[in-house]
Amino acid sequence: MRQLPLAGGVALALLLLLAAPSLVVAGASLTAGGIVQFPPEGLSLRWYGRVLEAREVRDAFLRSLEVATVCTALAVPSGTLAAIALARWRFRAALAIQLYLLLPFTVPLIGSGIGLMLLFGELGLLGRVWPVGIACCVINLPFMIWAVAASVNALDPELERAAASCGAGPVQTFLLVTLPAVAPGILAGALVMFVLALNEFLVSLLLVDARTVTLPVQIYTQIRAVITPDLAAVSTVYVLVAAAAVLLLDRLVGLEIFLRSR
Amino acid sequence: MAIRGGRPAARAGRPPATAYRLSWRILDALEAVAARWPARAEGAVKWLLLAPALAVVGLLVFGLVVMADASLRVMDFRTYQLGEDYSTANYVRLFGWGAFHATLWRSLVATLLVTLFCLLLAFPYAYALTRTASARLRRVLLVGLFLPFFVGQVVRAYGWLVILGQQGLVNQALGLVGLGPYRLLFSYPTVLFGLVQYMLPFAVLMLAPALAAIPEEIERAAASCGASRGRTLLRVVLPMARPGLIAAALVVATLTLTDFAMPAILGGGTNDFLANLVHDQFFRTSNAGLGSAIALVLTLLGTTVAGLLLAAAGVGALGLRGAR
Repeated sequence: MRQLPLAGGVALALLLLLAAPSLVVAGASLTAGGIVQFPPEGLSLRWYGRVLEAREVRDAFLRSLEVATVCTALAVPSGTLAAIALARWRFRAALAIQLYLLLPFTVPLIGSGIGLMLLFGELGLLGRVWPVGIACCVINLPFMIWAVAASVNALDPELERAAASCGAGPVQTFLLVTLPAVAPGILAGALVMFVLALNEFLVSLLLVDARTVTLPVQIYTQIRAVITPDLAAVSTVYVLVAAAAVLLLDRLVGLEIFLRSR
Repeated sequence: MAIRGGRPAARAGRPPATAYRLSWRILDALEAVAARWPARAEGAVKWLLLAPALAVVGLLVFGLVVMADASLRVMDFRTYQLGEDYSTANYVRLFGWGAFHATLWRSLVATLLVTLFCLLLAFPYAYALTRTASARLRRVLLVGLFLPFFVGQVVRAYGWLVILGQQGLVNQALGLVGLGPYRLLFSYPTVLFGLVQYMLPFAVLMLAPALAAIPEEIERAAASCGASRGRTLLRVVLPMARPGLIAAALVVATLTLTDFAMPAILGGGTNDFLANLVHDQFFRTSNAGLGSAIALVLTLLGTTVAGLLLAAAGVGALGLRGAR
């Protein structure tokens, strides 16, 4: 810190700015009073109890879990296989394939969201929960491919060749050598996909109707009406999930890899 | 077994240790199936592995096609159905529509300002992150970047409502010194503030690898040649960090231009961006044709910017180096 007085000072101030909404939401959820304020008026967990009783919020949370599960269940196999294929085989149209697979990142969310809404509308899939999970998988798939690709690239192909020369067939090599070696990447990708689907707001908003709102949409609708502490309690659940996800990700791949130059 | 077997007598009653395990049998069966795969179709394996991902992204492409199709049809408000015939009427209407111009202008100005502020703030953050000698500070700064990313936009916007509301944290603090309350929410500057806070982690994460790639020795060399800190920053570090700065700017710009949640929650309906206009066309005015047209224009704008980013940064963004 002593060598970087200015940059370090700015960084710490920004850290506070980045953390402020999460900290304030968590603090406000502990209030014993009837209105949202920070610092809270006396400490209590009563608003958490209120959330457990509130049917709308609980159902929305369960729907969000379903969305995240569907999204992850689809993303793990499709993303893993694609990453392995792209890293291990030579494709003639490799550049075109990569640009195509990056489309979910280059097309803005409002574009993909409206497109999927119209498509699912034609297919008669609107008003159900699982298509939202598929949509979340579509828009975030590059994260999954990216996470697995990082692991595959770190895996020495000699290991697979060694397995083959020891008499293992292609299936055995894939299941017993390749997959375990890229498992941290798969887990990291699955984690990111799950948490992002749990959080997905805009695409959810476009795809759900009044009977199938997911939790972010429920929070959005409620803050537009009236702000009550039970919403802060729900939001705190998100903060805790996020914290757990960051810690897990750090354990799995180490956050420092994001500082490495490509 | 003979090598390890110090106690052969103990094993006497059991089946031989070399018994063929069930998992081995399953693997053998799988291998047998794989061996049946015709050698001529060897090249098809990689495409089979790729197929599910191609199909998933295919949904997005299909969606865009349906959207483009809808944008070329005019909504018939007697039946609330899109017309049968293709026409460019929606696009023509767009270019003469005052509300569209105002919203486009508001979104573009916001994009410019948010990108500028984000770069200004992200640079010292990324610099401290990559240059600090303290592993603990680096970890704290990294967690500070990822936590908001996973918390989600709605919850973060909700936090700002609590902080900036009429009875929020800021107004309470101002009240203690006899000021306010001020109306801080639902204004353009607040939307910009929320967007800067939201985009900052993206900017830092795009910038940090570029800064990490600049050897510290170069900065020390500049200093030993007599350059002041400011001069080193302007003449050495900034030019070398340019690819990272460009990447950060483009990511922040696309995400800001197409954002929905911040204007919707912190803007309170009076500071809409283009994405909010699209949403209103579908859910308030029920004009799927016009909404699709705006969405398509926005998609083209966003994709162009993102395409520039890819051209500048290379497809390495996916982390795929291809076969070795």
